[in-house]
Amino acid sequence: MHLSPRFELSGLVFDIPTMIMTVVTSLVVLLLLVGLTRKLTVGAPSGGQNFLEWVVDFVSGIAQNFMDTKTASRFITLGFTLLLYIFIGNQLGLLFNVNTSHHGQVSQSFLDSLALSGTPEATEHKKEEILKELADDEGHGAVVVWWKSPTATPSVTFALALMVLLYSQYLEIVKHGLGTYLKHFLNPIHLLEEIIIKPLTLPLRLFGNIFAGEVLISFLLSTGIFVGSLPLVVWLGYSFFVGSVQAYIFTTLTMVYISQKVNDHH
Amino acid sequence: MLDFGAVSLEWGTMLFQALVFLILLVLVRKFALGPALAVMEKRRQHIETEISSAERSRKDSETLLAEQRRLLDEARLEAKALIDRAHKQASDEETRIKKEAEEAAARLKAEATADIAREIAKAKAELQEQVAGLSVLLASKIIEKELDEAAQKSTVDQFLKQVGDRL
Repeated sequence: MHLSPRFELSGLVFDIPTMIMTVVTSLVVLLLLVGLTRKLTVGAPSGGQNFLEWVVDFVSGIAQNFMDTKTASRFITLGFTLLLYIFIGNQLGLLFNVNTSHHGQVSQSFLDSLALSGTPEATEHKKEEILKELADDEGHGAVVVWWKSPTATPSVTFALALMVLLYSQYLEIVKHGLGTYLKHFLNPIHLLEEIIIKPLTLPLRLFGNIFAGEVLISFLLSTGIFVGSLPLVVWLGYSFFVGSVQAYIFTTLTMVYISQKVNDHH
Repeated sequence: MLDFGAVSLEWGTMLFQALVFLILLVLVRKFALGPALAVMEKRRQHIETEISSAERSRKDSETLLAEQRRLLDEARLEAKALIDRAHKQASDEETRIKKEAEEAAARLKAEATADIAREIAKAKAELQEQVAGLSVLLASKIIEKELDEAAQKSTVDQFLKQVGDRL
């Protein structure tokens, strides 16, 4: 069982490895961008700037597929940051794994942080299982995952997706006024789409793809070097592809959802 | 939090993720994308002005070329007119000179004819005078020698011979 330490603060549960990966991914994105934009020139760009402008043009292209150029330019930063954050987040989990395996005794606070669950009963149940794994000297012990794709965590993908969707709702209110906005919800299809379908499909698609990739990677790792090596290499290549495509899809869908709210023919 | 065992949804992590992403958005905008977009926009404008200025200079050169062509045509026409005029002048001059020469020749001829006529008249008058003088002389000589026919005859012959010689 893969565990991750959590803590509770004023009723909210925080997952420590996920937060670490969120910060790491953000830092990688930021440092990469700062590195690429160190020597900006109006003249013929080279190297890093070339790549950066290619990405910007790529994102602009996605946005302009669904909106006119002027409207699209408002959402370049969002699309650009989303694309890079999700892309790098997806690939970070493929680079390596940082797991710690615990046997025997761990401190009570660490045990509590690992066992923290939705309900007290679930927490108790989980704590028992962890203690069982800790006590089992033959098994792999209690494995704590410290390094993974942030996007392999539903909290992350839901946070990103809900943020984007709330932003699109906000844009619709600004564009059409609160009255028109609320009137749309009288249509049950629209209600279903906005309340259920979009908030579930957008984050779960990303999470499912990346999580599945990581599950299979850890499975292949556990099969040993002789059985798992070749499939692992193949699967890592495929996961890289999937991670790129999912970043593209998330960005594209974000632009589609925003365009539905800001375009005139609504 | 929603807990499904291996997968869970923690509100705290979500909140943290949202906050970090918003901060990332701001930082990316401020340090990377803002400057990059500004540079790209500046380049776009630069290219636009370059294109429009190239377009303008092309138009300018076109009008200049047309102007030059027009001027060249004008100059050509002018030169042609100039040459034509010179030709005409030359031919005019030619006829004038010819006419003058003809006139001068005619005048000279007339003058010469008049001179000749005058000379003839003069000579005639002179001859008449001389004939008259000779006649008088002859008469006086005849009167001197009287009726010597033979002598007269010889005198007249001599006289006539003299006249013939003189003439």
